[in-house]
Amino acid sequence: MSENVSIMAHLMRRAGFGATRNELEVCLDDGYEYTVEKLLNPGESNHMPDDIIRRYHVDQSELRQLDGAGSYWLYRMLTTNNPLEEKLALFWHGLFATGYAKLNQARALLNQIDMFRQYGFGSFRELLIELSKDPAMILWLDNNENHKEAINENYGRELLELFSMGIGNYSEEDIKECAKAFTGWTLGNAEYMSVRASKDSIWPYGRIAWHYEYRADDHDGSEKKFLGKEGNFNGEDIVDIIVAQEATANFLSTRLFQYFASDEVDADGEFVISEMMQAYFESGYKVSAVLRSLFNSDYFKSEKCMYSRVKGPVESVVGTARLAGTYQEPTLDVHSLWAQTMFMGQGLLAPPTVEGWHEGVEWIDSGSLVERINFAAKELSDPTKEGVKDIIHRVTAAQKDLSDSEKLVDSCLDFMGPIQVEADTREGLIQFAESQGVVRTEEGYPDQSGSTQIARLIGMIASTREYQLA
Amino acid sequence: MAYTSALTIRYLKTIGIVNNGSNGRGFANPYDVAFGADDEIFVLNRCDPARRSGIRVGVCNIDEEYLYEFGYGFGDGEGQMTLPVAMAFDSEGRLLVTDEHTNRINIYSKKGDVIGKWGVKGDLEGEFHGPAGIAVDSQGLVYVSDQRNHRIQKYTSEGEFLSQWGTKGANEAEFNLPWGIGVDTSDNIYVADWRNDRVQIFDSSGQYIQAIGDFGEGQETLNRPSGVSVDKKGNIYVTDWGNERLQVYDSSGQFISSMRGEATLSEWAKEFFESNQDEMETRGISNLNPDIPDHLNTPYHISSQTESYFWGPVSVRIDSNNRLYVVESNRHRIQIYQIG
Repeated sequence: MSENVSIMAHLMRRAGFGATRNELEVCLDDGYEYTVEKLLNPGESNHMPDDIIRRYHVDQSELRQLDGAGSYWLYRMLTTNNPLEEKLALFWHGLFATGYAKLNQARALLNQIDMFRQYGFGSFRELLIELSKDPAMILWLDNNENHKEAINENYGRELLELFSMGIGNYSEEDIKECAKAFTGWTLGNAEYMSVRASKDSIWPYGRIAWHYEYRADDHDGSEKKFLGKEGNFNGEDIVDIIVAQEATANFLSTRLFQYFASDEVDADGEFVISEMMQAYFESGYKVSAVLRSLFNSDYFKSEKCMYSRVKGPVESVVGTARLAGTYQEPTLDVHSLWAQTMFMGQGLLAPPTVEGWHEGVEWIDSGSLVERINFAAKELSDPTKEGVKDIIHRVTAAQKDLSDSEKLVDSCLDFMGPIQVEADTREGLIQFAESQGVVRTEEGYPDQSGSTQIARLIGMIASTREYQLA
Repeated sequence: MAYTSALTIRYLKTIGIVNNGSNGRGFANPYDVAFGADDEIFVLNRCDPARRSGIRVGVCNIDEEYLYEFGYGFGDGEGQMTLPVAMAFDSEGRLLVTDEHTNRINIYSKKGDVIGKWGVKGDLEGEFHGPAGIAVDSQGLVYVSDQRNHRIQKYTSEGEFLSQWGTKGANEAEFNLPWGIGVDTSDNIYVADWRNDRVQIFDSSGQYIQAIGDFGEGQETLNRPSGVSVDKKGNIYVTDWGNERLQVYDSSGQFISSMRGEATLSEWAKEFFESNQDEMETRGISNLNPDIPDHLNTPYHISSQTESYFWGPVSVRIDSNNRLYVVESNRHRIQIYQIG
């Protein structure tokens, strides 16, 4: 496999959900830096249209509960032409983790994801302001209970600790002052919506979605001291001060590095992060500039960076289904797909806590590993699926001698990614291919049973340790 | 209330409450209504995946008495339904229910006995790919919108194929995923041509007469119409699903009125609040018709936050008393208006 193909496949695994060979060829024609720009500047997503989804799936129209909402987002990920838009929304969802369990309001959660799509590439300042106005976040961290006469620190604390600067960069007094500045930032009909959320009430006519409301009469307009500055701060002023901090640049760059490049940050990684921080300030806090700096770095394109991350459950499931070419039309099976992500430990819109998911190797335990392997192997060992058919076709076209198991394995690895595997893994795959016997052909092309043999080999590759790495 | 000198449409009441269990009073994503001979209101409950074991037809009356229900579970077994879309009584008083997943019409007695079925998946004459809307004309002939075959098929009441018209496209007499069907007193056929954003009108032999509507969010336009009915005077009512409203046209297709909905608490809803005072009290200080921020300023989002508005209007039907029923899948209720 050529180095260019390998690096481009790496980019698409990290900035998206992997790529089929057809998609990869388009990227290769465009070139690496142009592809990075396309990813950072999404155009029409051409995802499965909402009207088609809503007509077929009543639950994804009404959004009474979690499964319909999670399935809807999966459709977006499965069919979008803007994979980074969804991958970045997933990043923000993990960082600003907001969960269904307390809210019982799936529409508001999907509205938050829409907000991530809209603001996720732009100024971190705007994003934090929108986050502070997001009704799901407001109820999730009790800012509806943050009143002029009695502050609730929950949102103010997490804004500093988990969402922007990290612990150790502010005082307890700063938290209080921050909370005061966000008094009055609530949601419309807060009292009724809060009761309904706490009771998980769907009565009498289903859910009522939420919107932001500012109550000036409940805002603390007093002078505040925050991170060494003094003034009559409102929430926007607090965000202005936060985003100008070096700690914020470091926090954001590090989290993006760990999500898109490598779970572990070594000395080389520290250097990349320092460049990302520089891009953050030079661009006026633009997330796209920080990502551009990362994706175009030598580190990101190095062997060291490749396969250094464990795929998260959602990227694993979506990547596999996109490779198989499935779920391109509405189907009742999408609920099973959503359930798969839950079984593997990453229920969309249902992070375990405000800290989000513990990523990296913590994704893998014996139970979730079995789920991953079974799902990927089943999805990709079916020769009738469009994506699998395409891989078989390409393998056959490139590898006329299908009786050579070594070449057959290498060719399948190539067109499934390319995927790089350890020598002992490759040896095991060759043995598996040989155990199936020579691929049965008819006039040089695999017949039905021959296609099944190749598909089984593809499924076996999807069962390897290396397939779980991005 | 909407009106012209010749037509008034007066809000009467709302029937319904969300049903969270498998069975019993209330609706679960209602998709259509049909009217029995004794003023009974039959409500087709499509049900979401979490409640699919309760897929059924519920029967109530205008006084909001829940009378009985029938269903045989989720699936493709005898009498079962998977993704039911619409229903109509035939000339024999049997209830015909379309199912876009099993590609068949289930036939039930008004008490719910399974009488039969017809239909298989395919694109040949008489076969279905996603049957959706259904209507019966004065001669007892049955019309079905064959959604993913983009055509209308005509049958006897026994399911014997008679004729078909339409193919995929946007020209006259072509369709794009048609949904609801209505019939007027002259047995003309009105088709909610869903993804072409129009209603097409044909005579009973399938000859094209005219089209109503044009895509958009403007006052007179349609966006993904789901259902259509015609009153005795020929006025045409369209559930404008994508715009979350009801559009009214006169018999020539001229726009008359646009209605967004004005639901009130049903008797069942009132009973709920009587025993949930905490919700009633906080509801009392709420504005359930709020101003929505710009980024949520679409009909869908507005309806998701404005309880009295139509949300997911999937069908409109008219009973023998000239009452108009708008079925809201997302709000689990039916808004009823008196046509005068």
